[in-house]
Amino acid sequence: MYNIIADEKDKGGMRVITLDKKDLIEAMTEFKSQGYYLSSITGVDMKDHLEVIYHLHNFDKNEYLGVKVLTYDSKVPSLVGLWKAADWDEREQYDLMGIIFEGHENLRRILLPDEWVGHPLRKDYDLKKVQYVSMDSEGNEHVSFDEREGW
Amino acid sequence: MKTGDLGVKTTTLEKALEWGRSNSLWPLTMGLACCAIEMMATQAADLDISRFGSEIFRNSPRQSDLMIVAGTTTKRMAPRVRRIYEEMPYPKYVIAMGVCVIQGGPYVDGYSVVLGVDKVIPVDVYVPGCPPSPQALTYGIITLQKKIRGETDR
Ligand code: SF4
Repeated sequence: MYNIIADEKDKGGMRVITLDKKDLIEAMTEFKSQGYYLSSITGVDMKDHLEVIYHLHNFDKNEYLGVKVLTYDSKVPSLVGLWKAADWDEREQYDLMGIIFEGHENLRRILLPDEWVGHPLRKDYDLKKVQYVSMDSEGNEHVSFDEREGW
Repeated sequence: MKTGDLGVKTTTLEKALEWGRSNSLWPLTMGLACCAIEMMATQAADLDISRFGSEIFRNSPRQSDLMIVAGTTTKRMAPRVRRIYEEMPYPKYVIAMGVCVIQGGPYVDGYSVVLGVDKVIPVDVYVPGCPPSPQALTYGIITLQKKIRGETDR
């Protein structure tokens, strides 16, 4: 049995529950059996910890449910085993927020080139260190901090 | 151009070529973000740019003369834009549409956007706005035609 740390309603009337991350898979399995589908995964950087927010939607009841998970070591269990839709969403969160989804088989960058340094939506990402992208004739991308080596 | 008494017109070959080129600017479909919607509106029935000889948007760079870069050029897209530009046959022209393409626009402080497509490819006409209205783009195309015919001093 999982226990719910907080259960609140947001401004739009959507129920948002907070879970411990070790309960995540168990709770999500139960929500799936109730007919919920995964709509989106978002991440929030709260400086000392990261929050991962899952939006679930139930087509029968036309009801949304938000599930929040806090993580202090940027690691969260992956939901790919439950919903295939989680695959690319988790890759996006990994790419931009640096959240590591344990159990994801193909956790690579999805939007930025593979060689990119850092995760740009983190608060500690340094925007002054500009990175430039170039492409060789084979179509391989290269990232560099040197302005002359890309755009 | 001079009109002779016999109903004959004389001109230089160069002028005739310029006239032909400026009135058959076939644009390339290069919509990268929201500005592309306005580019489509420019091409559609209401403001029909075929009136100025830009008949039809080509999907192949090898069949087009004009690249309207419409929308945010990201760092990852920039090498591709360059490559497509190089695939276009001469003579070729570029219109930079929207502030994103001109200098980064709303994303000027971001990490992912090239601050000005003129770093990547040479630009002939800049059309500012976010997004520029279809009328503004039409004006940009007319300005480019004048530039090709040597009628503007810039
Ligand atoms: S200039 Fe404005 S409308 Fe055009 S691509 Fe940029 S943000 Fe979109």
